[in-house]
Amino acid sequence: MTTLFGFYVLIWPALTLGVLILICRAVLRDRREARREKRELV
Amino acid sequence: MNSESLYQFSTPTVILLLLAFYGGTYLLTLGIRKKHEDADAFMVSNHRVGFGIGAASMTATWIWAASFYAAATSGYTYGVSGPIHYGLWGALMILFIYPFGRRFRKLAPNAHTLGELIHARHGSSSQLILALSNVLGSVISLMVNFTAAGALVSVLSPLSFQAGVIIAGVGVLLYTLWSGFRASVLTDFAQLVALMAIAVVIIPAVFFAMGGPTELVAGLDNLTPEQADFFSMDAILNQGAPFFVAVLAYAIGNQTISQRLFAVNEEHIKPTFLTATVGYGAIVIGLGMIGLMALTLGVEPMNGDMNNLIPQMVSGYLPPLFIALFFILVIGSLSSTADSDLSALSAIMMADVYGKNIARGQADPKRMLLVGRLTMILATMVGIVFASFSLDILVMLVFVGALWGAIVFPVIASCFWRRVTNQAFTTSVLVAMVLFCAARFELLPLSGASGLFFELLASIGGGVIIGLMVFGFLGRTAGFVAGALALVAMLLFATGFLRDYTVLLASLTAYGASTLVCVVMSLLSRQPDFDFATIRERVGDYEATHDASPAEEDDALPAATRLAGQR
Repeated sequence: MTTLFGFYVLIWPALTLGVLILICRAVLRDRREARREKRELV
Repeated sequence: MNSESLYQFSTPTVILLLLAFYGGTYLLTLGIRKKHEDADAFMVSNHRVGFGIGAASMTATWIWAASFYAAATSGYTYGVSGPIHYGLWGALMILFIYPFGRRFRKLAPNAHTLGELIHARHGSSSQLILALSNVLGSVISLMVNFTAAGALVSVLSPLSFQAGVIIAGVGVLLYTLWSGFRASVLTDFAQLVALMAIAVVIIPAVFFAMGGPTELVAGLDNLTPEQADFFSMDAILNQGAPFFVAVLAYAIGNQTISQRLFAVNEEHIKPTFLTATVGYGAIVIGLGMIGLMALTLGVEPMNGDMNNLIPQMVSGYLPPLFIALFFILVIGSLSSTADSDLSALSAIMMADVYGKNIARGQADPKRMLLVGRLTMILATMVGIVFASFSLDILVMLVFVGALWGAIVFPVIASCFWRRVTNQAFTTSVLVAMVLFCAARFELLPLSGASGLFFELLASIGGGVIIGLMVFGFLGRTAGFVAGALALVAMLLFATGFLRDYTVLLASLTAYGASTLVCVVMSLLSRQPDFDFATIRERVGDYEATHDASPAEEDDALPAATRLAGQR
């Protein structure tokens, strides 16, 4: 029960961290592409 | 824990924090600022926003200050399943909207607002109904976010509520005013990174500071059987279901969402919305867990105000540095939504009101920009003034969502079904609004024959919601079957029962009534079927059309853009 509730609470910040890393990597890729195509990021 | 006092920042500290946040955000926008901004880019960037920025912007926009407070309130009120019933449904609605978003984009790849698409499909009356509902929603959203800023500043510092509201309003306006949507999406990324990084740290920090899983499990004894049940019917019927119904409407009727649909690179719509779904759910449910923690510890919300729950927990268990991080977390979330609302409102006034109904094809991009910026200034002033009325965030959320519920079916049907007419769209929305108000405010008795009448409409509404969701992913046949099954299930189980849950009944009534009227009027209409290909021809960019001379225009521009200019 203790492990289950620990997991239930902590899975959300773990998922948040995963999405944060994914988004940061994607933005760096967007930036590289924009530079290569000589256009603005936004 | 002493629940009667919260940690207090000194006035200089809180001003420095706000200055650092808004000053940093403003400096960030200087990097993309142009002396002569492009009117189209001011509304939707270049229609080619990448996956990373798009996903960050979608997530940051969808998360507003109410997300944290309401998720924690839900966790505190409904126990173990509470945070899920706030965050999961909100997250899934981002997911469910993208199949329709792809259709909108396919029909009108160069649109700036959903209203432009509806204008091309039906004309001004339907478009203005949609625009009005968007304006209403965005102004309320601005008000809620500024209110949250005022409340946060006033509980954590000696500064007044009004000071917090004004600083937030002016701060957001300053960095959004010049570059509009471009500034909004760029700053959304920076704000989301801060917001996520802080959430990743704060949730475990509070959890372990309160004693970790052992303390949480020990505190489960403080919960009622309903609160301890993960499948609590109380939580489903009072929190999950009304919110589920309302948020579907939010996604369709919200210009901040459609603006991003038209801005993101068309190929990236799916991954953008999938990522935003997971990101939103993780942050909001995670912060909602703080409400559950407070419940298990037996913490009473200070002054009976549920919005104090998270500040109380952070203030009671963590050192001042974390309280400063929490402060930035909330300011970041409310600012990212508020700047999106300002951009949405300006786009509606620029494209839907000025472009389509005042200039009527003769839109001057410079004047459009002026309209957009004046709208932002006016909207900020209205938001600040309205923020003085401290209203219940959760109730407002459901109310506005239900109002948008009246629009969902007519909008979606208009984009897939050739027979829907302007009259059917307009009448169905108006009838649904009236019936929603009658049920929500119990203007008619919810017993006997009238109770049954509303339950029948609500059952149709339930079928429509399930049918639309399945239709979005699996197509027409599956959608019809799922909708019919949901309708039958609702008729069997909801009759004589749903009338006790007014919020849910009223929200579903809005869907059911608008669908029924829209379908019947469309079927009875003798107008010729609509040709969807004409939408693409009628909706285009404003700058391209205006820059080219009439002679050049015919040679240089594709037919779609030329026709857009003519309208």
